[in-house]
Amino acid sequence: MKLSRHTKVAVAIAGAASIALLATACSTGGGEEGDGDITLTVTTFGTFGYDDLYTEYEEANPGVTIEATNIDTGGNARTDAFTKLAAGSGLSDVVAIEEGWLGAIMEVSDQFVDLTDYGIADRKSDWVDWKYEQATDADGRVIGYGTDIGPSGICYNGPALEAAGLPSDRESVAELLNGDWAHYFDVGRQYQQATGKAWFDHSGFVWNSMVNQMPEGYYTSDGELNVEDNADLKANFDLLSGAVGDGLSAAQAAWDWNGGKSFVDGTFATFVCPGWMLGVVEGQVETGGGDASTGWDFADVFPGGAANWGGAFLSVPESSEHKEEAAKLADWLTQPEQQVKQSAAAGNFPSTLGAQETLASEATPNEFFNGAPTGAILAARAEGVVAQFKGPDDSVIQENVFGPALSALDRGEADGTVAWDQAIELLHELVGE
Amino acid sequence: MTTTIRPPASGTPTPQRRAAASEPLTFRQRLSRFDVKASPYFYVSPFFILFALVGLFPLIYTLVVSMHEWDLLKGQGPFVGFENFVEILGDSMFWNSIGNTISIFLLSSIPQLTIALIVAYLLDQGLRAPTFWRMSVLLPYIVTPVAVAIIFSSAFNEADGLVNNLLNVFGIADQQWKHDTFLSHVAIATMVNFRWTGYNALILLAAMQSVPRDLYESAAIDGAGAVRRFFSITIPSIRPTLIFVIITATIGGLQIFAEPRLFDVSTAGGIGGSDRQFQTTVLFMWELAFFRRDFGEAAAVAWLLFLLIVAFGLVNFLISRRIATGGDRPNRRTRRARERATRGGAA
Repeated sequence: MKLSRHTKVAVAIAGAASIALLATACSTGGGEEGDGDITLTVTTFGTFGYDDLYTEYEEANPGVTIEATNIDTGGNARTDAFTKLAAGSGLSDVVAIEEGWLGAIMEVSDQFVDLTDYGIADRKSDWVDWKYEQATDADGRVIGYGTDIGPSGICYNGPALEAAGLPSDRESVAELLNGDWAHYFDVGRQYQQATGKAWFDHSGFVWNSMVNQMPEGYYTSDGELNVEDNADLKANFDLLSGAVGDGLSAAQAAWDWNGGKSFVDGTFATFVCPGWMLGVVEGQVETGGGDASTGWDFADVFPGGAANWGGAFLSVPESSEHKEEAAKLADWLTQPEQQVKQSAAAGNFPSTLGAQETLASEATPNEFFNGAPTGAILAARAEGVVAQFKGPDDSVIQENVFGPALSALDRGEADGTVAWDQAIELLHELVGE
Repeated sequence: MTTTIRPPASGTPTPQRRAAASEPLTFRQRLSRFDVKASPYFYVSPFFILFALVGLFPLIYTLVVSMHEWDLLKGQGPFVGFENFVEILGDSMFWNSIGNTISIFLLSSIPQLTIALIVAYLLDQGLRAPTFWRMSVLLPYIVTPVAVAIIFSSAFNEADGLVNNLLNVFGIADQQWKHDTFLSHVAIATMVNFRWTGYNALILLAAMQSVPRDLYESAAIDGAGAVRRFFSITIPSIRPTLIFVIITATIGGLQIFAEPRLFDVSTAGGIGGSDRQFQTTVLFMWELAFFRRDFGEAAAVAWLLFLLIVAFGLVNFLISRRIATGGDRPNRRTRRARERATRGGAA
């Protein structure tokens, strides 16, 4: 049988490879370390902006080589990290963890190094207080150096707003959109009636922003699942479904956006932008064949006030062979000075107070976003941001419970009531209550 | 004299030797005997040891996992017996995934094998530069499934994909390749067919080339046309290979994962389309294990899928045996009975 022969060959190769791996693992464990040369592996996701910092660290620390891997989205990074955690091996020396799935990681926080052993407690005052607390588990162990946070503003396409007779400069847009979500959708209706085009790209991201803005999201602060009878959540859902019903959503596939083209051809006019999303927008516009002249800009406003979506931590897994060196690197990468550089490279917003102040005072114009001082705007957007408790199934609820329901809503296959019922049904099936 | 003396002289060793046989063997002799008897098993053992390690052990371990509550990150929980299986069998998403898998399997296997047969038949017709044609047919097989999935996902993009653009040329409106259940199955089946048709064609070609040419010649002399020769000579002659190809296609077809996983980039949760339109069973298993972190139920799905594949394999084996035998060729028992009858008649 051909198949069995294939399997045999595959098995033989796998066997040989694993033996070879074992051999190399032994040799790196023994020989190289003796010379003080070590290789640190780092896994990040999305647009992290660390490339230049790695080089800088390597130059400052002879003998340290950094092998970096960047995964395209946080969702895929989650799969990568979880699979390796389950396997008990394979995690990098430094792993970036996203806030959205921190809840699940916290359930196995003992698989990560307690960074208080490496002096993180002395740096506690560096970060906004809630960032440090998020990474602290029930036993008081701290498992992550905060990198960025996700204060959110509104990205908008200037020419698109002009076409609808709306103001397009940053200050006027901030004024125009100042208000709650209902107001944001009302302006959207105005835009939609004038142009016949959609106001935002798809419901999923808007929904995430709305949920993240609430004091408590899918879980109460003490960890109870709270979706079905959550009146505030339902009210937000109705608000969103009403807007979608009026044609405000472009029903885009997230992380694809028609190969970035939808960012360029005016398919939608506004986009919810947590700091780290700025890099995503830039990347998508470039993929879609656009550039700075496509006219994306960033306004100092967010419907409903301050909101935090996402943000990440750098952790060191217990499986790392170079815990101390890895912690040192993660510590260095999250120092205010480095966070400023990271923000300049990736557009995301730092979690340390020192870096935030620098960004606010420097107000460096971001060439891609029509010269908007994105760092300073984000600093303003970060005021009043409060962290939300993330439960263990937060990302499942976001992706697989509300994801399909919102997609059906976007495509007009369901109205608000049907979509909500669908989400609740999925919740029962997937998460249980 | 010498002759009379000799026999006992030469005879003496024989009883000695006999005695030696009943006496314990020397170490050397034992080793040699062991070598003869056991070596063949040692020679084949690497495969079986590796199979036990990477095949049998995971299979059994999966069964153990499936009988426990088992969180991806937190690990083993309490023993629950067959509760996970009950849960899965009562889960509409599981049955949805089975339906999708079978639909994609039928949409891929049937055209794939049909075309592979035709291609193999054409390649068997004494073309010029046969190696070139054969290698060309195999070319898609070199491309990894992931690359195929990414390329075809782009081609089947709903807004600006190649396929919709081509349809527009013919005046057909854009199709919902990633949202319509049937169309998404067609798209995924296309990826599978792209990759496997040539491979199967080559295997079938190898079998066709071993069919004795004089069979065709005598059939042609008897007045059988090309179609008749194909169905009455080629197909029955390559029957074992055909069965093999059908069964491997079944196993492969029921395990489709990379194609549906990568067909929709927006779903990190691996639900295969916005509403599970093309979530195959393996993808469902993946979602359970690595997104919903329920290893126990995922292991149960793995076992159910294993049983399903065995069942499908058996059904296909039986069907393909009948089809390939053709209606006019009697089975072995009838043939024997007929032979016996003729022999009896002759006697």
